[in-house]
Amino acid sequence: MSTTAPSTERNGYTSWLLAPGVFWMILFLVAPIMMIVYVSFWTQTTFAINSTLTLDSWKNFFSSEAYVGALWTTLRLWLIVLALTFIIGYPAALFVGLLVKSKTVSTVLLVLCVIPFWTSFLIRVLAWRPMLGKEGAINIILQELGLIDSPIEVLLFSELSVIIGMTQIYVVFMVGPIAFMLGRIDRNIIEAARDLGAGFGRIFWKIIFPLSLPGVVVGAIFVSVMVLGEFATSGALSGRKVNLLGNIIVTQVGSLKWAMASVVGVILTILLGIVVAGFLRIVDLKSEL
Amino acid sequence: MDSKLLKPVLAVYVAAFILFLYGPFIVLGILSFQQGPEGGPQFPIIEWSTYWYRHLFGLTPPSRIAPLPVGEALLRSLTLAFMTMVTATVLGVMAAQAFRRRFKGAGIVFYLIVLGMMVPGVLTGLGTSLLANNVVGVERHWWTTAFVAHVVYTFPFAFLVMLAILNRFDGSVEEAAWSLGVSPARTFRKVTFPLIFPGVLSAMLFAFTLSFDEFPRTLFASGRDQTLPLAIYGTFSVEIHPNIFAFGVMTTLFSFSLLAIYGILMGLSVRRAKKIAMQEDIS
Repeated sequence: MSTTAPSTERNGYTSWLLAPGVFWMILFLVAPIMMIVYVSFWTQTTFAINSTLTLDSWKNFFSSEAYVGALWTTLRLWLIVLALTFIIGYPAALFVGLLVKSKTVSTVLLVLCVIPFWTSFLIRVLAWRPMLGKEGAINIILQELGLIDSPIEVLLFSELSVIIGMTQIYVVFMVGPIAFMLGRIDRNIIEAARDLGAGFGRIFWKIIFPLSLPGVVVGAIFVSVMVLGEFATSGALSGRKVNLLGNIIVTQVGSLKWAMASVVGVILTILLGIVVAGFLRIVDLKSEL
Repeated sequence: MDSKLLKPVLAVYVAAFILFLYGPFIVLGILSFQQGPEGGPQFPIIEWSTYWYRHLFGLTPPSRIAPLPVGEALLRSLTLAFMTMVTATVLGVMAAQAFRRRFKGAGIVFYLIVLGMMVPGVLTGLGTSLLANNVVGVERHWWTTAFVAHVVYTFPFAFLVMLAILNRFDGSVEEAAWSLGVSPARTFRKVTFPLIFPGVLSAMLFAFTLSFDEFPRTLFASGRDQTLPLAIYGTFSVEIHPNIFAFGVMTTLFSFSLLAIYGILMGLSVRRAKKIAMQEDIS
């Protein structure tokens, strides 16, 4: 009896500790997402919306070239930014996480990478404007160096500027997890492989890369979730030329077309679900971390 | 490839990488000292001046460029970030404390909480405003709908930070207190909390900065009155002037001073913990 009494008391204690957080998430996270699914089947009239169920908004989405186009643009930009963050981020992570011998230097470099994350997201987006513009820093530098005669106009207010901006903003989320996994590799394995005569290429592909894969997957999930849900960077750096699913949601809500916004919301949710589930199939994160 | 060559090559690469991360910011910082009010948001710098900083604080004679509407927005953002910080940290500490013991459904609860930071803001924002508008029928405000959406976003961060701290925490001190007949609540206040305080501080820093900077959720859920990120976003659509660059520099300095305060408090609490440990060793 003396053992069961405190145990049930502690169980009660656990549920009291969890209840507020769980209720908060059900009420303000799960219910809103359910609501998006539900409202996507509502009937939209010019200025109002009512709960008569219909497939009209769904039909509208798939019959509109602009909306389906936004879906493809989103997918294309996501793949490009994902690939770029990986290609640009991996060598940096390799240096910071594995090649730097001193723990202090590695920490300092990592902190240097993370610091921009503490500043305003919108200011970081905006900072690309004086960089990429027709009279921007990059064009001026290239002209001074004599590499180009006239400014490159495609740098700003194009798909390219959105890709550059997103890559710079999100690459840190790729570097962090990869550097973390690389830092945990037992250096003795690499030493042993080298002693047995393996070259760096072989060591990299046989040991280093497979061991860093969970970091790549976590980084890819972070980047994917953020890029797929983006609308601010594409809005601010493309001059409204690049429309992602997120941009459609914003404009639809702006004109009180809640049902259409919800359809796009559901499509985005499904897309995210597929992408995240796909990445989680590559490695079993629970056993790796 | 030779690894002797690899290291210097990658060192140069990392330097370039860091330049890529900071480049836009450096340019923005330089241009914030553009001459005013005629100087535009681009090179060359006509003449170095602090005009746009004075413009930001309303210290310049009125010109055709309207001052940024940041005063009230800043106050709202600070209040919202503070409310979010307190709520998210309390929820995070409670949930992480519960996770120290095995219980049924732990996996589901874990994913439910972490979902809050993974779902894009555009979706939580849309869903929250749909719920408020069409079901509950309440008006959206920054201190109601935007606040709950901010907590949904920051609570998982606080929870994960606390989980990491509590995992490394030695439970035997608590058990000692319990076996002496101290109630769980009192044990938490007197024993656990002082030990996990550095973690709480980190959770608070996360929650505050994330909420202060939060944009997509706020855009949908905050209704009429603008928070600071919304005010900045509003300037995007119109012609930009160097005053927004000066403002960017100011917010960055603000973020850094928050980090500095965090660093100082952290250092103090670590030193205090060391002192206590030393005293125990002596006695």
